[in-house]
Amino acid sequence: MALKDFAAEMDRCSVCSYCKWIPFDQMKSWRFAKNCPSVAYYNFNSYSARGRYAVARSLLNEQSEYSDTVRNIVHTCMTCGACDVSCKVCRYNLEPLEMVRELKFSLVEAEQVLDQHEALIASLNQEHNILHKPKSERGAWADGLDVARLPSEKAEILFHAGCRLSYDEDLQKTAVSAVQLLKSMGVDVGILGEKEMCCGGRVYSMGYRDEFNHFADLNMKVWANAGVKTVVTACADCYHAFKRLYPPLGSQVEVLHMVEFIERLIQQGKLRFRSEVPMTVTYHDPCHLGRQGEPYVPWNGVEKKIKGQIIVYEPNKPRYNGAWGVYDPPRNILRSIPGVKLVEMERIREYSWCCGAGGGVREAYPEFSAWTAAERIAEAKATGAEALVSACPWCERNFMDSISATGAGLQVYDVLALVEKAL
Amino acid sequence: MTLPKHVYQAFEDVVGAVNISDDPAVLDSYRYSLAHTAIHLGPFYNTYTPRGAAVLLPGSAKEVQAIVKLCNKYRIKFKASSTFWSAQGYPSEEDTIQLDMRRMDRILELDEKNMFAVVEPGVIGATLQAEAMKVGLNTHIPGSGCSCSVLASATSYFGSGPSNLYGGCYYDNLLGLEWVMPTGEILRTGSVNSTGSWFCGEGPGPSMKGVARGFLGAKGSMGVFTKCAIKLFAWPGPKTLPVEGVIPAYKVSLPETFRAYTLAFPSWKAWADAAHLIWDTGIGYLAHRQFNMFGRDLKFAMVKILTDPTKTLGDLEEVLADPEVQRITKQSERDFQIILVGMTARDIAWQDAALDEILNRTDGWKVEAMNVPEIHDWVLLYLIRLGHKNLNLVFSGGYDGAFGLLGAMDYGAAHAEEAAQFKKTWEKRGAIVDAGGDCMMGPIGGQGGGGTGLWENFTCFDPHDRESVEGTLEFFDACTKLGLEKGWGVGMEKWNSVARGSDGRTTPKAERDRMHLSAPQPSVFRYQHKIREAFNPNDLGDAYYETLEDE
Amino acid sequence: MQEKKAQLIAIVGAAGVVDDPQVDESFLLDHEARLSMEPHFLVRPGNVEEVQEIVQWANQTLTPLVPVSSGGPHLRGDSLPTAPESVLVDLSGMKQILKIDRRNRLALIQPGVTYSQLQPELQKEGLRVVTPLLPRANKSVIASLLEREPVMSPKYQWNLLEPLRSLEIVWGNGDKLYSGSGVFRGEKEEDWQKGMVPLLGSGPGQLDFYKFVSAARGSMGIVTWASVKCEVYSESRKLFFVPAEKLDDLIDFTYQLLKFRFGDELFILNNTGLAYVLGGTAEEIESLKNVLPAWTVIVGITGGQILAREKISAQENDIQDTARQFELKLMSEIRDCHSAELLEILLKPSREPYWKLRYKGGAQEIFFLTTLDRTPGYVDTMFTAASRHQYPAEDIGIYLQPVHQGTGCHCEFILPFRRANGHESGRLQDLFSNAALSLFRQGAYFSRPYGTWADMVYNADAGTLMAMQKVKDIFDPNHVMNPGKLCF
Repeated sequence: MALKDFAAEMDRCSVCSYCKWIPFDQMKSWRFAKNCPSVAYYNFNSYSARGRYAVARSLLNEQSEYSDTVRNIVHTCMTCGACDVSCKVCRYNLEPLEMVRELKFSLVEAEQVLDQHEALIASLNQEHNILHKPKSERGAWADGLDVARLPSEKAEILFHAGCRLSYDEDLQKTAVSAVQLLKSMGVDVGILGEKEMCCGGRVYSMGYRDEFNHFADLNMKVWANAGVKTVVTACADCYHAFKRLYPPLGSQVEVLHMVEFIERLIQQGKLRFRSEVPMTVTYHDPCHLGRQGEPYVPWNGVEKKIKGQIIVYEPNKPRYNGAWGVYDPPRNILRSIPGVKLVEMERIREYSWCCGAGGGVREAYPEFSAWTAAERIAEAKATGAEALVSACPWCERNFMDSISATGAGLQVYDVLALVEKAL
Repeated sequence: MTLPKHVYQAFEDVVGAVNISDDPAVLDSYRYSLAHTAIHLGPFYNTYTPRGAAVLLPGSAKEVQAIVKLCNKYRIKFKASSTFWSAQGYPSEEDTIQLDMRRMDRILELDEKNMFAVVEPGVIGATLQAEAMKVGLNTHIPGSGCSCSVLASATSYFGSGPSNLYGGCYYDNLLGLEWVMPTGEILRTGSVNSTGSWFCGEGPGPSMKGVARGFLGAKGSMGVFTKCAIKLFAWPGPKTLPVEGVIPAYKVSLPETFRAYTLAFPSWKAWADAAHLIWDTGIGYLAHRQFNMFGRDLKFAMVKILTDPTKTLGDLEEVLADPEVQRITKQSERDFQIILVGMTARDIAWQDAALDEILNRTDGWKVEAMNVPEIHDWVLLYLIRLGHKNLNLVFSGGYDGAFGLLGAMDYGAAHAEEAAQFKKTWEKRGAIVDAGGDCMMGPIGGQGGGGTGLWENFTCFDPHDRESVEGTLEFFDACTKLGLEKGWGVGMEKWNSVARGSDGRTTPKAERDRMHLSAPQPSVFRYQHKIREAFNPNDLGDAYYETLEDE
Repeated sequence: MQEKKAQLIAIVGAAGVVDDPQVDESFLLDHEARLSMEPHFLVRPGNVEEVQEIVQWANQTLTPLVPVSSGGPHLRGDSLPTAPESVLVDLSGMKQILKIDRRNRLALIQPGVTYSQLQPELQKEGLRVVTPLLPRANKSVIASLLEREPVMSPKYQWNLLEPLRSLEIVWGNGDKLYSGSGVFRGEKEEDWQKGMVPLLGSGPGQLDFYKFVSAARGSMGIVTWASVKCEVYSESRKLFFVPAEKLDDLIDFTYQLLKFRFGDELFILNNTGLAYVLGGTAEEIESLKNVLPAWTVIVGITGGQILAREKISAQENDIQDTARQFELKLMSEIRDCHSAELLEILLKPSREPYWKLRYKGGAQEIFFLTTLDRTPGYVDTMFTAASRHQYPAEDIGIYLQPVHQGTGCHCEFILPFRRANGHESGRLQDLFSNAALSLFRQGAYFSRPYGTWADMVYNADAGTLMAMQKVKDIFDPNHVMNPGKLCF
């Protein structure tokens, strides 16, 4: 696809501004009614999906040129996909998330990039991670763990830690817990350790399609060499990359997030919680596990019209609107932990508010990113919860940073941390 | 035009650097494609409203006032919009300053006892409704849906919608308002000046609210409204809507005191009789011919798709082939939706019995297929929140209403079928969606609750397809011709052609004058001209405020 | 003078011009001992063309016109000429009911049509018009509605001007304009059949013309017909009392009925106010005042054409339950007064003499808009002021009428006095001025600023004043329409 392939959508976007709000049916208050962090923060139309359609058309038609403002408009999109969900409450023939990704690709191709992103790409290319850390230390989090190291050792299931869980010392425990839990359940699990590489998902969301393709290819090759059939991860970004972005490139491995795996274990009666965890918690749906966590469905079709002017597709096009994302497994886990009381925020599931870490925003627009996280923390606190629980280290990092900067009294946990407490 | 540096700086000094932009790309996100939707003059392929000189995001009435004064000082036209939904909110003159009012989005007051709210321009129907429900109240939501600004609908356009019948249209519900007039002075109407409270918008003495809006508002051409008070009405339901279901098939299960029915009738006469009896009897919480916007032939199939999250528009032909769908489609040709809400159990029992009696007297029936729980609860949510209004555009992204018969129930009912059959012949030509001709939709009620209606024949087309756009325009031209021949007047498909031309710019004066002189009362536009001269002496709006100079 | 007379005779005929009309007693009942400017003539136009000609003539001769539609007594001085050489334009002769349209529930009436004339005609067609509390029998329906006089049934008041709809207006510049959808005035019967009817009040276009003549007291133009929205007439009606010793105890109950739109007529009277309504003579009033409850909500329920009994029964029970919830009682009788008797009174215009005048022959009114929850505070203020001016508090009739479906409340104090008693009149005048000012300062909204209230109100509202003057200059550029009223 190229940006010009979205020209029809640019004309068919009806500038309704649904993309700025959570689905109206789900609106419970004035305070937590918005869905798109960038237009909520920057306010100009151009920072919403409808505006980005217009900006893209303007660029495509050469009515405007690249500028600092244009770069900001494009790169402040977290590609959280909230606009996409709201748009598709009524529309079956628009793909605003796909369009904005394509817009990002086009800017990167035109070298309309940000220094912070470039630095991150350099780290990726050199160190195979986006955190500017040495690749040699990638597996250090598992030092001392009795876990198979692929490909030299064999295992049925690969646990992919991802950049954040590999290097972030505050969060490494999640990866450790995941491996320990899997092993305690008798799962034949292994890791790639220092040979693990970035999934590429985050650079994809910044517009670096080539780099993503390159790393997807590398990862798929490593998996093939190691005979990996199933990949489990505790990172929503990695999950999304493997589950949704790799299959069109040829990946056929089964992909599971830890919350799916754990829920399966609970349902099979293999995992029982014995310890009480007396805590009121609220759950934050990571964008890439929730609304963007729907399974990939292959499609290779064309647009056609029926009834004169109704736009449909031949064959029927799969619809990604957040309907079938991974929402219930983490909630089911939390509900099954004795003592845990799960209270919901207003914006949940497919219409969840983003943590603020996506799309390269955390790296390039730290103030905006922190504001986005603070918004979510305010929403979490409004539930009366003591802790904000999630299933993505990127979300957790952004929340922890915001809380430490603002002093908001709220704990942040990964679902796995509560599982561990409950065992 | 790029604003001279010192002028830009003057505006920037008012709103701050982060709230002003003249970047071409930003400005292009504040242009409207006239190949689009509900512009009531086109559509015109590949045509846009003019690019603004700058976009400003004011944060207070004081800032708006300062902006307007600068516009007067430098003789720059300005136009404010809150949600930028309608083409009317976009300038039709070059070099206009655009005010995006979204930062002013507070609900300033929610008076539970006296049932009104005071809102800023950025408050939309959905946010006000969500807050009102918490205190047992509800707000009218206009036909354009809950995504639209409450203030803009109430002060600057029409403000009619499904809840006219009980909730009252915005014309009725608009209480006091705060208006930064085109000269930069602020006028607050009604009680607020002497009491500090917004409960009354009229007076003292002759009501100057009448300058601010009439049947229609000034469509952003006469200053900027910065606050208004809106009358609310009872919501005897839960504090938040307990929404269930998988997107987009959201639905809500409400207490037994809430009922959503689709009523159908053997003739248009019976249809109108029922509408009158409902009005006379005083039942109903909202009433709208809603799903017929998909078209007489497609409506039930669309309801089936929209209430099943596994289905898409691509399943339409298959669903249409279902004999049961065909049977229901036939059964609901002349229909409308009504929601009954009982304030108490006795109240709903009485209303329900009265409705049955009305159906008995008019030989009407309830379309039972619309009463299965997953559809009933979806309809209930749809009509109460009006959060799916962009299904108007579901087919291909472009729509506009034709005819727009407005007035007494009998007026619309008398001509509905003729207008429908006329459209049907055009549908066969392929430029517009073939939906069954009758895509008439609109409220059962208007000013003062019931008694009037609006019949808008939805016409859907593909704004990206030149043939579709041009064919639609040809159809609309034919509608206008038919309307004039039949004495229905110019239909809504051309209502705004008096303000804006096919190039997206102001209609030439000679053409405007010709249209105004052919109106039943040209003096209306002459008075508007005098008002414009008195209240907007530097003429800083556009021709959406319709004026005619004295001969 | 004679030249002017001849010109007027040329317009309306000799019978239509009265020389030196006496501004009689009926004009002098307001509190202000203001000297009337004797009008030169009274003219009686018979149709809109004559009205237009009169107004055009007034513009040519710069003669002030004072329109009058209702018969006396005029309590508020709005029809009292306050400029020299005025001509009274008496519209009471234009009293045709032009059309009653059952289907669209509209009555098209001229300005001389009174409530006592209209209601029986409507009833024949199965309709009724909601009325103010006991209007004078000779009260012009149009004048009452133009004055935004509150009606007893707030639930039907979708906006403050309801049930007024389309108008035919002759502006102060002599132009004629149809407001609302008045251009569809149904001159042909088939237009009524087709639904091309004057149903709408707003507009047309982007101005709300009828709002410029509302509460304008004839200072903008003259209305020569109006369409009025009607309600369905029903034989099935019930009325109830909900008494309490304290006004505060009735407020939340009344709010609840307003919110649910239960009840048709819905208002509150104090014992004195209710006595003024019920009593036929000063003696009856005196004895009623002493026995009636301090405060009473009066709530009526109307059936309809469909399941009338069921509706009344359901609402009666629901209102009963609501009353219980607030520890109140829904009653059909209080102190020998049966609600059916009151209903009978309320459904008709006031008996003679006018109900506010029965007790002492004269009465002064202080009325304004507020919200229901603030009314107890205004009552206290009024009583305090009365006490300060040695006016007997027990004589103050209080009428609280929710308006516009409950968003506001008309609050009215009726202050009877003996006009013949100069001392009493003088005291009352002081009370009137001081109480109005206190109430205004407390937040009372004098939305219809009569007499001295105009200065008080407009001095505090420069924005409205400026806008009004601009509008006045457009529609009455020579300021011939009722000068000296409002701020013109």
